[in-house]
Amino acid sequence: MHQQLNSIETVVKPVNKIEVEASRLCIDHLSLQLEGRAILSKLSTTLPATGITALIGPSGAGKSTLLRCLNRLYEQWQGDITWGGQSILNRDTDLLRRQIGLIGQKPAVFPCSIRDNVIFGLSRQQRRAIADEEIHEALKQAALWQEVEHRLGEPAEHLSVGQQQRLCLARALILKPDMLMLDEPTSALDPRSRDIIERSMMELGKSMPLLWVSHDLDQARRISNHILFMCDGKLIEQSDTESFFNHPKRIESREFMRWSVCDC
Amino acid sequence: MMFWKVLKQYRVKGLLILISLPALVLPTICLVYILWQGLPVLNWQTLSGEGVTGFGLEHGMFGQIWGSLLLMLGANVLAAPVALGLALFFNLYANHNTQRTIFTLLHLLQSIPPIVYGLFGLFVFVHLLHLGISLLAGMIILAMIILPLLVLNALHALKAISVEQTESARSLGLNDMQLICRVWAPLAWPTMLTGQLLGMARALSETAPILFTATVFSGVLWPSSIFEPVTTLQTHIFYLAQEGGNAHVVSIAWGAATLLITLVLLFSLTALLLRRIDQHHRIS
Repeated sequence: MHQQLNSIETVVKPVNKIEVEASRLCIDHLSLQLEGRAILSKLSTTLPATGITALIGPSGAGKSTLLRCLNRLYEQWQGDITWGGQSILNRDTDLLRRQIGLIGQKPAVFPCSIRDNVIFGLSRQQRRAIADEEIHEALKQAALWQEVEHRLGEPAEHLSVGQQQRLCLARALILKPDMLMLDEPTSALDPRSRDIIERSMMELGKSMPLLWVSHDLDQARRISNHILFMCDGKLIEQSDTESFFNHPKRIESREFMRWSVCDC
Repeated sequence: MMFWKVLKQYRVKGLLILISLPALVLPTICLVYILWQGLPVLNWQTLSGEGVTGFGLEHGMFGQIWGSLLLMLGANVLAAPVALGLALFFNLYANHNTQRTIFTLLHLLQSIPPIVYGLFGLFVFVHLLHLGISLLAGMIILAMIILPLLVLNALHALKAISVEQTESARSLGLNDMQLICRVWAPLAWPTMLTGQLLGMARALSETAPILFTATVFSGVLWPSSIFEPVTTLQTHIFYLAQEGGNAHVVSIAWGAATLLITLVLLFSLTALLLRRIDQHHRIS
């Protein structure tokens, strides 16, 4: 019996490992120029397969631009970005965007009901066939269910900014993405809404990779497992959160933590 | 002393009121004068032409109203899809240089005097393409005139949509067509409709271009095809006003002017109302 279990383990483990590796997002020498200005230069990293990776750095470091490259909102870059071992440029754009969700800084709801906003990204057939339970589940995952339970038919514009941001999250989650990118999702929110989203994302980070752009170093320390520190379009340092905050390797990282500016 | 103090305090405000007053007073005087002259003339006899003779007045004004409306509608039907297509291309696919070229071209087209368009229409559509003086030639030339207005309005409507909404839709995997139909159209249609109504008002108020290309003085009541000429309120006023010596004929011209102004105001005010409703909706 013990032998049998061992053999199962040896069979199962490598498969899981391959699956985990396959769903990794790898960036290789990524450079981007916009209107003659270098926004990203020779950026290389591989994102962990699970957990929250905080992307930090001063304003204008290229953090949001990097997210837009990963989501193919920008495509004129050099280098390579692979997802599951395949260049994202060879993948179907619309499908890729469903797989790698992006939540922006400002919540953008559409002029329809809360329910219709949640299912906005689904195809027509999926919208018709979807069960209410799935919508409720997405809203629960985004920590919004209790607040909108009895008002799913109301216009989404009636929600507060914090609720709208969580609605955007539910809208991305119902697509069952393999990865989620968040561009300062809590910067426009009150502390309560921020805490709710942070908790919800930390729970979500246990099962999928999350790339979270943050200006707030305390938040990055609080929520993330890994840190990517960017400055002036370059990746300065990457490590796990504990090491980054306790033993930063680069002088730029120390400066940034101390003064919130970087002199690259 | 007090006088100078008050004068100093309100001099800028007073000066600006003084300068801007003509902008309000003169059009109001003009409108009131036209209505004062035209309203008494407008009755069933003038509209139907019963018991009136000469100068084409025996046919009444229904034919002219019909002609004006046909030209206006035709021009808008022709120009609207082109304007919408160009605005969408501009927003979705045009690079910075193409956008700049389109923008310059639109402003250039807008600054061409309508009479020049009329001359162009006469030579190209009427003579070269053998369309003759016809409803179709008039519609095309009017469509060309209102096109820049419609495109710029459509661009304005699309620009008012927040970047976040477009990016959110894109990041949910919506393709271009889904983005247009499911995000842009519901958000932009009130402004676009306003522009369309203003385009209608503009097409209705143009005289010079259709003078050469689409209209005749009289003889046509209801055109049987788009290749026939029409009579319109605009050109009717033009012809009648030339008979300055005949008080009755000139008074009929005032009546036609009142009708035309009523139609133009109807479209302009509806556009204004729509814009207000849309703004109210956005604020709430």
